[in-house]
Amino acid sequence: MRKITMAASLAVMMTVMAARANAEEFIVGAQLPLTGTLARVGAGMQEGVMVAADVFNKGNGKHKIKIVTIDDESAPAKAVAAVEKLASEGAIAITGGYGSNNISPASDAANKLALPYITSGGVDDNLVNSGRKNFFRINNTAGYEKAVLGTLADMGAKSVSIIFSTKEATSDLANSVQKALAAKGVKATAHSFDPAITDFKPIVNKIRLQDKSEVILMVGYENDYVGILRAARVLKPPVKALIGVWSLATPKMAAEFPDLMPNVYGTALLPFPATFDTADGKAFAAAYKALYKKEPDYLGQFGYVQSMLLFEAIARAADKGTVKKGGVAEELRKTDRETLIGRVQFGANGDNLNFVHRMAQHQGKNIVIVWPASNATGKMVYPGKPW
Amino acid sequence: MSGRLEPSRGWPLFVALLAAGYGAVPLLFGANQYIMSMVVAALVIGCVALSWALLGNLGGMVSFGHSAFFGVGAYVSAIVTLKAGLPVPAGMALGGAGAVVASLAMLPVLRLRGPYFALAILAYAHIFRIVATEWTSVTGGSGGIGNIPVLPTPLPNMFGVDMGGKTGAYLVILTIVLLFALAYRAIRASHYGLALRAMHDSEDATRVVGVNSTLLKGLMLMVSAFMAGVAGAFNAHYLNFLEPDYAFNGVWVTLPIVAAIFGGYRTIAGPVIGALVVYLLDQLVFKALIPTGHQLVLGGLLVAMIIFSPTGLLPLLQKPASKPGRNDHA
Repeated sequence: MRKITMAASLAVMMTVMAARANAEEFIVGAQLPLTGTLARVGAGMQEGVMVAADVFNKGNGKHKIKIVTIDDESAPAKAVAAVEKLASEGAIAITGGYGSNNISPASDAANKLALPYITSGGVDDNLVNSGRKNFFRINNTAGYEKAVLGTLADMGAKSVSIIFSTKEATSDLANSVQKALAAKGVKATAHSFDPAITDFKPIVNKIRLQDKSEVILMVGYENDYVGILRAARVLKPPVKALIGVWSLATPKMAAEFPDLMPNVYGTALLPFPATFDTADGKAFAAAYKALYKKEPDYLGQFGYVQSMLLFEAIARAADKGTVKKGGVAEELRKTDRETLIGRVQFGANGDNLNFVHRMAQHQGKNIVIVWPASNATGKMVYPGKPW
Repeated sequence: MSGRLEPSRGWPLFVALLAAGYGAVPLLFGANQYIMSMVVAALVIGCVALSWALLGNLGGMVSFGHSAFFGVGAYVSAIVTLKAGLPVPAGMALGGAGAVVASLAMLPVLRLRGPYFALAILAYAHIFRIVATEWTSVTGGSGGIGNIPVLPTPLPNMFGVDMGGKTGAYLVILTIVLLFALAYRAIRASHYGLALRAMHDSEDATRVVGVNSTLLKGLMLMVSAFMAGVAGAFNAHYLNFLEPDYAFNGVWVTLPIVAAIFGGYRTIAGPVIGALVVYLLDQLVFKALIPTGHQLVLGGLLVAMIIFSPTGLLPLLQKPASKPGRNDHA
């Protein structure tokens, strides 16, 4: 019996090895900012891309994915050059890109080379409204807006002060939220700031003395949040909550700014410590921890989802023999499945039709998902301020 | 395009460089989009470096605000071609003209010298960036402008090599740089150039003999602005995308300064050769060896160059042939 079992095991191993040896390998290009101003977010997405390749290659004996990464140095011209170099090295599609200003010319270059381009790094709506045929995006401003408005509605806030950077993505989101709040009868006062500004005390003081709002909504980036929260900690405006969007509800922010983050809200897909219920989620978390020896974050999660959808589309196109005939983009357009960021379906313009973000709150050392109720891992602390 | 362009030994080298630029490079690398992309990007930086060096060498002014001219040129050309439907070459010329108009706003700071002028012009660059961000109805605001008309292709096909796309763009920017270098040389050889050289030795003395130094410096600022503006316009049509942070980014002044100093900013060819060497070495060699963090090697190389040859690469290469003359600075 033991001999039979050994022989069977050997046969299975040989079959698997043979399948792996015969597996068709496809090169996928990862154009990412690993240095420059977007290095941190680029590195986060890169981790997700590599985890997706690892999970896909382990679970798919028929097709293999090889990732070739080029650092675009957070510069548009180098992003274009990176896509062109990846194409010359045999990449059949591009995953990655961060910052709409880098993604736009890079995806144009990919479009000219007939390469599908999938990203989660740019929420500028021009990206999906400029007629790029092979462009796909799994997140968008609308999804962030839903999370912010949903949280404010749950809080029952009657007045909100919006502090936003004049960059495109932040302006778009702030303006959309302001309009939506005004339509609901919520008093929304907007304060724009130049991205170069580091001292937010004048704006926060204006909110404290003039707006007297219940909630401060921050629409900016990491450094902006830190500046606003520091100013708020000094001036102590009479607010009940401080909400931000991307790059705020992360374990990194909690660890680096323990005095500024308590009770602050930010969009996040994952609680911390991260928990996963689905098989896909568990595979992601296990591979992530094995590769990077740390808890996964939302950047990795986005990178993972966009890449896994692309790899699956490549596999389907390969089965049909249409990889070199535009089949990958065609298969991506047919995508309709539940992922770690929810259901993904692409519209005619390549945008994800179903994207809705989640809102989380820093509570102690944990990050708790508080909106929507279906994904909540805890209750919101409201009123709640860092000071 | 040699350093001093002396007829006896400069022209053969110049002709050889022309042959290499217009013949060898497209034939050897025309099919490689990545390398052509790198060369085009290096020449854009070289063009701005040339304009920066002209202002420093002939005008005696150190500018930290050339990104203002680059950005204004890019925006003017993008807007007039996209919204008014002008052809791209006309748009690029208007881009240069727009940068000249922008330089007029800087005339009041011409009376400042040294770091005061440098800081004042840097402030102008920030002002123009904010104007581009806030003037949403014209510039598209922080979202920028997409789908900018592409560069026209000069020669669709030559000797069986596809001259469209990257190669076409390369030929356009190469021609622009060449024309600017010849213009620089003509200015330097003219009596204006003589007066500007005299101003370097003693501005007060030249004023005493009737030279209007402020006017001359203003003219150099305008010429320099035009060059940087055309480079910005080219880049906008090459990338087909523009936004304020990119168009007015500090990199459009820091990298050209590095390139100009590396190549030798007191020569005509130095800034362009500096840009080609610095950018191509960094992107094609150092980046291949160290995918992330390759800038460290470049930084070390720059420090070594400044220590061992403060006048730059080109004067270093010319040393065995001739010792530096008294008028090398101009």
